[in-house]
Amino acid sequence: MKKRDIILFGIALLVIVILLPGQQEVYLSIREGMPAIPLAIPEFIVHDSSPNTQEAAQVLHQVFAADLKYSRIFEELPKDFYSYIRPLNPENIFFKDWESISAKILFVGEISNGDGNDIVFEGKVYDVKAGRGIFGKRYQTSRSLLRFAAHKMADELLRMWGERPIFTSKIVFCSNRNGKEELYMMDYDGHNQTRLTFNKVIDYMPAWSTDGRKIAYTSYQGTKVILYILEVYEGKRHEVYSRGTSFAPNFSPDGKKLVFCSQEEAGNSEIYVANSNGKNVRRLTFNKSIDTAPCWSPTSRQIAFTSDRGGTPQIYIMDAEGSNVTRVSFGGTYHDAPAWSSQGDNIAYVSRVDQIFDLYVLNLRTKQIIKLTEGNARNESPCWSPDGRHLIFTSNLNGTTQLYSIDYDGRNLRRLTSQGENKLPDWSR
Amino acid sequence: MKKVLILTLVCLLVFGFTLSCSKKVKETPPPPPPQVKEQPKVEKVVEPAPPKEPELTEEEIFMNKSLEEINREVPLRMIHFDFDKYFIRDDAKSVLEGNAAWLKKFRTAQILIEGHCDERGTEEYNLALGEKRAKSTFDYLVSLGVSPSRLKTISYGKSQPIDMGHTEAAWDKNRRAQSTVIAK
Repeated sequence: MKKRDIILFGIALLVIVILLPGQQEVYLSIREGMPAIPLAIPEFIVHDSSPNTQEAAQVLHQVFAADLKYSRIFEELPKDFYSYIRPLNPENIFFKDWESISAKILFVGEISNGDGNDIVFEGKVYDVKAGRGIFGKRYQTSRSLLRFAAHKMADELLRMWGERPIFTSKIVFCSNRNGKEELYMMDYDGHNQTRLTFNKVIDYMPAWSTDGRKIAYTSYQGTKVILYILEVYEGKRHEVYSRGTSFAPNFSPDGKKLVFCSQEEAGNSEIYVANSNGKNVRRLTFNKSIDTAPCWSPTSRQIAFTSDRGGTPQIYIMDAEGSNVTRVSFGGTYHDAPAWSSQGDNIAYVSRVDQIFDLYVLNLRTKQIIKLTEGNARNESPCWSPDGRHLIFTSNLNGTTQLYSIDYDGRNLRRLTSQGENKLPDWSR
Repeated sequence: MKKVLILTLVCLLVFGFTLSCSKKVKETPPPPPPQVKEQPKVEKVVEPAPPKEPELTEEEIFMNKSLEEINREVPLRMIHFDFDKYFIRDDAKSVLEGNAAWLKKFRTAQILIEGHCDERGTEEYNLALGEKRAKSTFDYLVSLGVSPSRLKTISYGKSQPIDMGHTEAAWDKNRRAQSTVIAK
């Protein structure tokens, strides 16, 4: 008996020892304020004289350079620097030349013709100081996918740098450009805007699944408001919840759960959680106040949401099971739409002051608050990029409601849409 | 022989008649438009028939109408709310009493109560607030004796304004609960 007890105790200890490291929260930090790395992207070398290929090389170069500029990690050297040194010879690179114009990383792109009408885009990345290649990639692509090939190459460079790639990520949003609000999808830079639903009813509040292949959204079907999951690339959709008005879905980063709001049982909006396939729906909040806008933490163990249980709408955090509710927003009378950065520390939200909505970022560790937007407008529905360095949001800054992107520090505001009115963006992970 | 003669005569007559007719048609191509004008007259002759039965009760008239026709008459009036609030205002109570009376008259009707908000709230919170507005309308109608099984609620948040303006008056109009008949 005793022997068995000792063995059992030993096993229990072992289990605890094994489990302990897994319990720890892992936080990745953004290297804020880090100087951008000087990157040289000389004109790509084209092994074909046809104007079509020359033009393709231009597109690839422009998209690739724009991606890396957006990253905030790299900084492209000014073009005129290249004229101070000997022209690039890919067979024999004079690294001292590149070092003399303060390049740290050199990207050499070569374009040639592939099978049929395809283009081959070959990229080599060099560490200038060490004078050696770091990695190389070769893509063969049809001419209609040049932008995608450039984004892919830029993603590889980020991945090599230990960063989360964002350039092939997609943004889903609502637009009324063809009548009623329906779902559309676009690249991170606003290109390739594609219509996804053709329901001729209002489709609302889309959210990407963790694998980027499904979208949960609310659809107004006559007298019913149904929460659906759409399989984007298969074109199939299935019903998740059709009791009452169900809305504001959000998939957990671990891909296991779906959280959303519904008002059926309680007569007011409460937060529910289901498995990511929409099955096994359970209620998380129980009170007479409004609970809305749920959003998972990067660890999938907590949920940020809006509640007016204290009198005014404020941001709260609770555990994934609905316990340990804590208020995190203070100093205002109207806070909503929390968006938890995948990098852990930051929650972006909307604050309303005198009918003006602005975006703020709350750092949960330091409790520091940064105001992101400034202007006599309604800036709302913030959503983080996969790397936590950028946000996309809705604003009526220029009159109509459009999508904009901005960096974590309030820099690089840029408009992404212009057709019709566009809102409720969600950035794939 | 006589019979043959008469037959040929009749045949000739018919032939001649059809010829003259077809000629007339050929000679006067414009007639089609007047024919169109004549058509409504024919219909008008048919239409007077229904008024023969004026003994229909209000309920029967109601049942004969399509849902679209009923809703076009807007039998249920909308109510408005204060900014950021969802309680039923005093001026809305009498409106809802009227709506409840209508619902008691037409005992089979089912309605959908839509909650709406103005643009001065965020998307997520407004959708929940619209629900609250629909629900307080629902509760008030139930307190007036309407069966809850006849009432459904839905929220549109701020997505369906009736006044596109950006003034106090426009916002006041847009903060509303309106009802449509969905079954009779």
